[in-house]
Amino acid sequence: MRKLGKALYLVFAFILLYLPIVYLAYFSFSSGQDMVHFQHFSWVHYQALWADKNLIAIFLQTILLAILSSLIATAIGTCGAWGIFRLRGVQRKTLLVFNNVLMVAPDVIIGASFLICFTALGIGLSFWSVLLSHIAFSIPIVVLMVLPRLHDLDLTLIDAAQDLGAGKGLIFNQIILPEIMPGILSGLFMALTYSLDDFAVTFFVTGNGFTTLSVEIYSRARQGINLEINALSTVMLLVVLLLAGGYLFLTRQHDISLGARS
Amino acid sequence: MNIIELRHVTRRYPDGFTALHDINLSLEPGKFYSLLGPSGSGKTTILRLIAGFDQPTAGEILFKGRDITNLPASRRPLNTVFQNYALFPHLNVFDNIAFGLKVKKVAPDEIKKKVERMLSLVRLEGFGKRSVQELSGGQQQRVAIARALVNHPKVLLLDESLSALDKKLRKTMQFELRSIQKQLGITFIFVTHDQEEALAMSDEIFVLNDGRLQQSGSPSAIYDEPVNEFVARFIGDSNLMSGHMIRDFEVEFGNHRFECADAGIKPGEQVQVLLRPEDLSLVEPAQGKIVVDILSQLFLGDHYEIWAKDDGGFNWLIHTVEKAPAERCGLHFAPDAIHVMRLGESESEFDQRLSQYEEHEK
Amino acid sequence: MKNKSSFFLIPYLMWLLLFVAMPIILLTVNAFTDTQGQISLTNLRAFLANGACLKMMVNSFWYALLITGLTLLVSYPLALVIANCRHQRLWLLLVILPTWINLLLKTYAFIGLLGQHGLVNQALQFFGVAPRQLLFTKAAFVVVAAYIEIPFMVLPIYDSLHALDKQIVAAARDLGANAWQTFWRVIWPLTLPGVRAGVQAVFIPSLSLFIITRLIGGNKVITLGTAIEEYFLTTMNWHMGSMIGVILIVIMVLVLLATSGKEQNR
Repeated sequence: MRKLGKALYLVFAFILLYLPIVYLAYFSFSSGQDMVHFQHFSWVHYQALWADKNLIAIFLQTILLAILSSLIATAIGTCGAWGIFRLRGVQRKTLLVFNNVLMVAPDVIIGASFLICFTALGIGLSFWSVLLSHIAFSIPIVVLMVLPRLHDLDLTLIDAAQDLGAGKGLIFNQIILPEIMPGILSGLFMALTYSLDDFAVTFFVTGNGFTTLSVEIYSRARQGINLEINALSTVMLLVVLLLAGGYLFLTRQHDISLGARS
Repeated sequence: MNIIELRHVTRRYPDGFTALHDINLSLEPGKFYSLLGPSGSGKTTILRLIAGFDQPTAGEILFKGRDITNLPASRRPLNTVFQNYALFPHLNVFDNIAFGLKVKKVAPDEIKKKVERMLSLVRLEGFGKRSVQELSGGQQQRVAIARALVNHPKVLLLDESLSALDKKLRKTMQFELRSIQKQLGITFIFVTHDQEEALAMSDEIFVLNDGRLQQSGSPSAIYDEPVNEFVARFIGDSNLMSGHMIRDFEVEFGNHRFECADAGIKPGEQVQVLLRPEDLSLVEPAQGKIVVDILSQLFLGDHYEIWAKDDGGFNWLIHTVEKAPAERCGLHFAPDAIHVMRLGESESEFDQRLSQYEEHEK
Repeated sequence: MKNKSSFFLIPYLMWLLLFVAMPIILLTVNAFTDTQGQISLTNLRAFLANGACLKMMVNSFWYALLITGLTLLVSYPLALVIANCRHQRLWLLLVILPTWINLLLKTYAFIGLLGQHGLVNQALQFFGVAPRQLLFTKAAFVVVAAYIEIPFMVLPIYDSLHALDKQIVAAARDLGANAWQTFWRVIWPLTLPGVRAGVQAVFIPSLSLFIITRLIGGNKVITLGTAIEEYFLTTMNWHMGSMIGVILIVIMVLVLLATSGKEQNR
């Protein structure tokens, strides 16, 4: 009986979590114009989406922005993590506190204060201001993803490499980098999702006709239901599912090797 | 010539803690040495200094007479087997072993040949492609040994390398290590806190405590003739009590006088007396040198461990192959079972005294 | 070594200076200057004198509390169930998955779900309740915000449940505690750090939500976040906007101190 209760709650919770998402996808295949009555199955909204050159351009811009910002943020963040790792005591604590400011600060504050900053620095609002902002708010998460890996790094591995004749550069490339690579990759992944997900900061600092998908969806959604957005979200849902499947597959392989170890 | 020599080596940390006080060691080529001591005694520090992971505050380290004190670890002709093995988790067994050769840009087919040879030396043929994380503790240990030995080090340093293994595996590995060392004829320096391990494997043992060298010598010399209470207690079980010298070859403890084998000590001087439990035997009360009451006896498979109390209240530990004959027994021991130690006598003073009266005897 | 590490730190320190230190300083400067650029408390005075502003702040706080409470109510049992079933990693991934879907899209879905003839009203009708206005109500705002925040509450609670030594629970049962006593006296106190982390992760963003207020709450709900957006992008009064930003930061810091201070006492 208790088991049944638990199972029911699990089902209830997951219906709740996925209902809106499924609901969106379902109506993307309706030939109608609202999310009330499913008319009949049709690809009409996908065709409209495909024909919407403007939206496709925005989609590509968003992807480009995400890739660029996450790569740069990962590079700076990894260097930062290494720097912080080498520091001790107060210096280290201070840097970590400042690192976390953007992690806890609400999007609205980040957006507003960046807007003031860009204005003060004389940087016009355009693709560049958005790119800079996305790099800026992605750096701390990269640091937080890489640091634990550095801490887990077995320092005797460095001794061992040295013992076997390796110099400093070689030790970094062949020992440290491969060891912290999972951290760097999850940092990159997080930075990517942060950038793709962001609405508020972009909303504040964008200009000169540059928009991202989030901003575009916001302005369309304010005008009411538009099933082209449903079609778009279904496509994005598929991408996310593929990513999640890949992640699951990779971690499962990882699990097997971990299991054999114990 | 000595392969490794430490001269007046001191290691003091910035916080003021002194890990090593004025250590002098000389190691000959081709021998198996152990650095033995409790944790915090400085044995691992010595190993790290020799390997080059750490530099002494004072003193120098010589390799074949050449000063290598400030030579980086990567350029020293010696290799280390780490306590946790420190295998590179992202490399397979083959690449772990090949690491040092690749660093030195050895030709690939040469590397392959050498690694294969090492794999067969440590009896891991066919394991090259395995991930090191799939290996058991004993197998990881062998990979670590192979990874170090493939570079043909002149000296192999082993840092508590067997401590992570279970007892049975440890015994096997002790045997294998010793046979590898004999086979290759290179110097092994083995750090351990396990006295049995050190006694079983070494040609020579260095006993350390509180950053000071207590005694060095062959396993039997250290066991039979410990210079002080620390060494006596740390190595083997012992019955220790204080007493004083009556004259040469006679000592008093527990209100009895006994004939002993020690000399060169002033009459009346306070001394410590050591009797190993296996040198004691239980006899009829009338035939014993001391009379004791049996408190407990445990059968340990190959011998009995017996606790007994004498009339003075001292608790004796006795190892015998037979059960105690009665509740009240005599305790018998030969004069040379008594080992007399002077308080605060250093190893060199001890050696000097020993040689003096041994000459005298001849 | 020291030089090496600072070399690595240069780009990172530049970032700290330009995108952490400078924004905070400029926001504060803006908050305490008037439109002529003179240092003054005009904005603070205006904020405190304006009843609507104070009411908005209290409301914002109250809504964040409601959202956090509702989220916790749904999330704790969910985390508990997941922590005690097979395929935990799969369920956990399914909890995380919605967070990878753009917030805008999830919010947009609710415009359909809660519409005059949307699924929820249809369901209500089925149970004999007359359709009613759901969209653009305060309740709708709270529900949608809670929906968005659920994964961020489940994860830390699950982590602390997962870290809980199963033997401790067994020991409690062994000592005669029933299921409820075991939960209340053992499991709940031991997972409190996770709950606290979850509350922090939910409460603070809830104070500053502005997409959901606009799209779901109509303009019925004004939070601190909405107000900041309004002042910055609509009325273009950056000084007042910055003032509210500073107030939001102060509240946030107080909340952080209140929720993590206890942990240090333990």
